[in-house]
Amino acid sequence: MLNRIIQVQSPNPDDARRRRLLNILLIGIFVSAIIGLLITGYGVFTELWGLSEIFLRTVACLVFIIGVSIIYVINKRSGKIAIYLFILLLITAYIISDTPYQISDGRSVFYFSIPIVIASLLIHPLASFALAAIGCMIITWAASTISQIPDFIVMIGFFMLALVSWLTLSSLEQALKRLREINANLDRLVAERTKALAESLARERIEAGRSIAILESIADGVIVFDLHGKAIVANPATTQLLSLPRDQIINSSIDDLIHSRTLDNKNRSVLGDLLTNPSQQPASYRVQWGTKTFSVSSAQVFDTEKTRIGRVAVFRDFTHEAEIEKVKDTILATVSHELRTPLNAILGYVEMLKEAVYGPINAKQARASERIISNTRRLLSIVSDLLDQAQIEAGKMIIQVQPFKTAELLDNVHNLMIKAANEKGLTLTSESAPGFPETLYGDSARLQQVLLNLVGNAIKFTVRGSVHIRLSCPDEKHWAMEVRDSGMGIPETELARIFEPFKQVDDSITRKQAGFGLGLSIVKQLVSLMDGDIAVNSKMGVGSVFTVTLPIVQTGGIQHE
Amino acid sequence: MSDLAYVVEDDEDLATIFSEALLAANYQVEAITNGLEARQRLQEGAPHLVLLDLHLPGVPGTDLLTQIRADERLAKTIVVIATADARLGEACRESADYILIKPISYTQLRDLTARLHST
Repeated sequence: MLNRIIQVQSPNPDDARRRRLLNILLIGIFVSAIIGLLITGYGVFTELWGLSEIFLRTVACLVFIIGVSIIYVINKRSGKIAIYLFILLLITAYIISDTPYQISDGRSVFYFSIPIVIASLLIHPLASFALAAIGCMIITWAASTISQIPDFIVMIGFFMLALVSWLTLSSLEQALKRLREINANLDRLVAERTKALAESLARERIEAGRSIAILESIADGVIVFDLHGKAIVANPATTQLLSLPRDQIINSSIDDLIHSRTLDNKNRSVLGDLLTNPSQQPASYRVQWGTKTFSVSSAQVFDTEKTRIGRVAVFRDFTHEAEIEKVKDTILATVSHELRTPLNAILGYVEMLKEAVYGPINAKQARASERIISNTRRLLSIVSDLLDQAQIEAGKMIIQVQPFKTAELLDNVHNLMIKAANEKGLTLTSESAPGFPETLYGDSARLQQVLLNLVGNAIKFTVRGSVHIRLSCPDEKHWAMEVRDSGMGIPETELARIFEPFKQVDDSITRKQAGFGLGLSIVKQLVSLMDGDIAVNSKMGVGSVFTVTLPIVQTGGIQHE
Repeated sequence: MSDLAYVVEDDEDLATIFSEALLAANYQVEAITNGLEARQRLQEGAPHLVLLDLHLPGVPGTDLLTQIRADERLAKTIVVIATADARLGEACRESADYILIKPISYTQLRDLTARLHST
């Protein structure tokens, strides 16, 4: 209530402060005047004062009450006018209430000190000097009316008071100004921080909303598990893929999930391993879930501080792809058989024609038969290569490790290739290093395929000279197959590329030699499947050496699938 | 020593070619194109050599191989496997005498069987 009476609205904080102070003074004087009236009333009853004294006191109190009320109203509108009027009221009151004697002697120091301080307080710190000057003029005037010399000590006192007033209030105003600046800075800072925080919160909300929207709309099932393996998030796709209600997935554990009746034992253990895999690397496996095939990937989830907070599992419906793959496998197997059988028949019949099983043929017919035979063999080898490549790519190439006789491997290859070598006038020789094991473990069919391919290439690219096969042990843990030829050699720039599919050293050579660029690529892949390495050393015009190095395996079984 | 050889192969063209190769190697050849018939004939005759395809209608070639090896009468019969499936061929290594992986050339078969016939 009091605060409301005192409060003044002003855009200038200094002005508001001064007008508020003025209001306080006005109220103080108003209350004092009321008390003065009451005391005067008491004086009437007790006959303490004479009539004129009572009249004067009453008038003075009323003048103050009316004066401060008017000034209060003016102060609501204009502080400046109100303040000047107030000081005028004070000065006038002093002049009227005191005699010139009283004014010009010491009493006025006390009286005038009030407007001096108030002017400094309400108008401007420097206004104290103006009021001091006015005070001096008034006491000079008062002294002149009674033909006396004004009291200079009093005048100096006025100015001293003005000086103190000025210093005090100017430093007070400075302090207030600083305080206002600090406050303003603080306000600005708080506003900025609040704005930034609000923006960041809004951004986070948008991002979180976006992530949720993405999660809700993707076709892959996503389940997030907390550190205890409890599902805390599952998107709608999960419900559809796993055919489980969402509330049955959420809050269930990894254990509950893998013990679903839709999984058989094998797939249960695969999924269990995947979802409990402690590795930080994401892993992915195929899982049969009832009639559906899923590609399930799982990875640990870390927060921005790299602390593990759980695990995410993504279920992708792979059923359609798995069916296509199965069809592809069937086609591959069928094509493999269906292509080879008629090719074998062509080969057999032409050979019989050439061997004159069905009667004598002339030289040209024999030549034509030979061409048919060689082209059919080429076609057969292409078909085999393509099927091998397809098998390797599909991960269906199985390396079956069994004991085999090393001499048998050499003999087989020698027997199969000697004819081709002799036809080109090349010598084909083979040997085992002294002390080379008689029996080794390995996939003899695939080893033979590798060796046949290397020897076949060596014969193909050698015009004169020899092809030599050698088996040896470079160290205790490895054995090696080496094929050395005296062919044209491979340029250094091409050496690194010859194992890539469909690459051959030179297109012109390729056409002349009727090659197909899958052989060496398959050899390399087969050797890798057997955990081995293949290296080539070649010198232009001198020849090439291909060396396959393989680990000495101690037991049998399936090495790779 | 019998001159009799069975060619057990369901593909007629291949059966013809293999038969011709064996004929050229001086065998008396009987071509059989299904497993059931082969089983029957193996119970009756005692060929010197059987050229056996593993993928056969009726009775699988591997069963016929087991049958031959279980029959004392056929103890001296030479079994040459002719298959396109290298893996399956390898599996017969213990009980078969020779394993040929298709494609099998006429001359290769003729030369091999000629050698076998003369021993």
